Amino acid sequence: MADGGPGGAAPVPMATAAYRCPLCRRSAFSGRRSHLYSAGHQRRLRGVLARLREKVEAARKTLKHAVVVPYDPVEHEKQFWCTCCKQEVKQHLSHGILTALCGGIVEHMASPEHKTAVYTFWWENKADPNLKSQFLISSEDYELFKASLTKALDAYEAGNDEVIQQMAAHIRNVEQIRQEMVQAISEPQMETELCKGVAVARTCPGTQSDCSFAMEEHEQPVPSRSATCSRERLGSSRSTTTELDWQEAEQSLTFIGHQETQGKGNVHTGAKPPWLLEDGKSTGEIGPSYEEFLKEKEKQKLKKLPPDRVGANFDHTSQTGEGWLPSFGRVWNHGRRWQSRHQFKAEAGSKKPKMKSL
Amino acid sequence: MSFLLPKLSSKKEVDEAIKSVAEKVLVLRFGRDKDLVCLQLDDILAKTAHDLSKMATIYLVDVNKVPVYTQYFDISYIPSTVFFFNGQHMKVDYGSPDHTKFIGSFKTKQDFIDLIEVIYRGAMRGKLIVQSPIDPKNIPKYDLLYQDI
Repeated sequence: MADGGPGGAAPVPMATAAYRCPLCRRSAFSGRRSHLYSAGHQRRLRGVLARLREKVEAARKTLKHAVVVPYDPVEHEKQFWCTCCKQEVKQHLSHGILTALCGGIVEHMASPEHKTAVYTFWWENKADPNLKSQFLISSEDYELFKASLTKALDAYEAGNDEVIQQMAAHIRNVEQIRQEMVQAISEPQMETELCKGVAVARTCPGTQSDCSFAMEEHEQPVPSRSATCSRERLGSSRSTTTELDWQEAEQSLTFIGHQETQGKGNVHTGAKPPWLLEDGKSTGEIGPSYEEFLKEKEKQKLKKLPPDRVGANFDHTSQTGEGWLPSFGRVWNHGRRWQSRHQFKAEAGSKKPKMKSL
Repeated sequence: MSFLLPKLSSKKEVDEAIKSVAEKVLVLRFGRDKDLVCLQLDDILAKTAHDLSKMATIYLVDVNKVPVYTQYFDISYIPSTVFFFNGQHMKVDYGSPDHTKFIGSFKTKQDFIDLIEVIYRGAMRGKLIVQSPIDPKNIPKYDLLYQDI
């Protein structure tokens, strides 16, 4: 390429090597004029600078009013690409658990290395010299930023202290309410119907500490007033000392006595659950016994016999009384066999009275 | 010879025997141990009992100990042999007046074995009455007298 070199004013790092425009990302150029003044290059240059300017403007806004926030590793480790220095720079300034927003940008823009790089960049890319000041932060501005940052840090710590104070106050408040409640319940007396309203109100969360104090004082004379009417409920009140007032008022639970474990333990001691305990009945033998197996085998054998044999469905195991007689055909060959049995029974019945009469 | 075979001495035992013997011919010999013909018959039964053990079960019953059965089976001569199969009474046509029981003693062991086999096969085919395989010459003769007729 004969005209590969840039315009005469542009610095040529190596005369022999082909020049490559980093903004346009190409090394082949055409036209009589220098590439640096071409419309395409200037357009890209403007785009790059506009992007950088957005960030610098955002940082410039924080110069007078620095913002300090708690450190967030994801958010506050972001970096931005400084086109002039051709390197990544941290966007925010983090120290310990705190982060100054845009502090990294301000610090970088104020550094002398950046100033040099900006001058070089402007020379190399033939940018508008009037814009140069927008990408630099003067040392006075930097001092201003430092001052505002110090102020912001102080303000942040003060705010933090305030939050801690508030939380401590809340915890103290809750603790006080709880203590009062325990004290009130452990006193061996029962509030009258009038006092109940007070008691319920006292258990409400978020009561002011001074308010509950007032109630404590207000409650003192009540027992003496209602001592006579409350004596009958004394026992139940004592047994449920750890329960809340409303439970006492609504229902009295029946205590069935402590369950003795007798060395077996219970659910809290990791004992064997009842459904896994062995019954006295089961012998651990699973499935049919040998006797049952033999019976089944006999049954299988019977199935091979002809189904219409004599007495095929005769029940050999039926229980019979004294009067039972087998089926028996008498000498005649007609009639059913059970008829002989009935006949015999009838004869026997008619015979007995005869014999008695004889 | 009667001591070689099991005896049934009460109605309950006879009941049990009739009910419990399954898929086999039950042979009940009604008689008296001291009777002469009974001794002959017991000898034949005792000697064949083992050979027939898969087809028959043989019991000896004293007629005086189970009067109910004696009456029910209408036993007027001893020895009388009654056959059952699966709790059902098996009749046999011997050519004699009574089909319900064999009266008297068998002439040979083989006669008895043949008779049991015929009863067994007939029962297996569902027959309640079978034809006796015994030669009529070998069957004792008697006069059947019916009571109350």
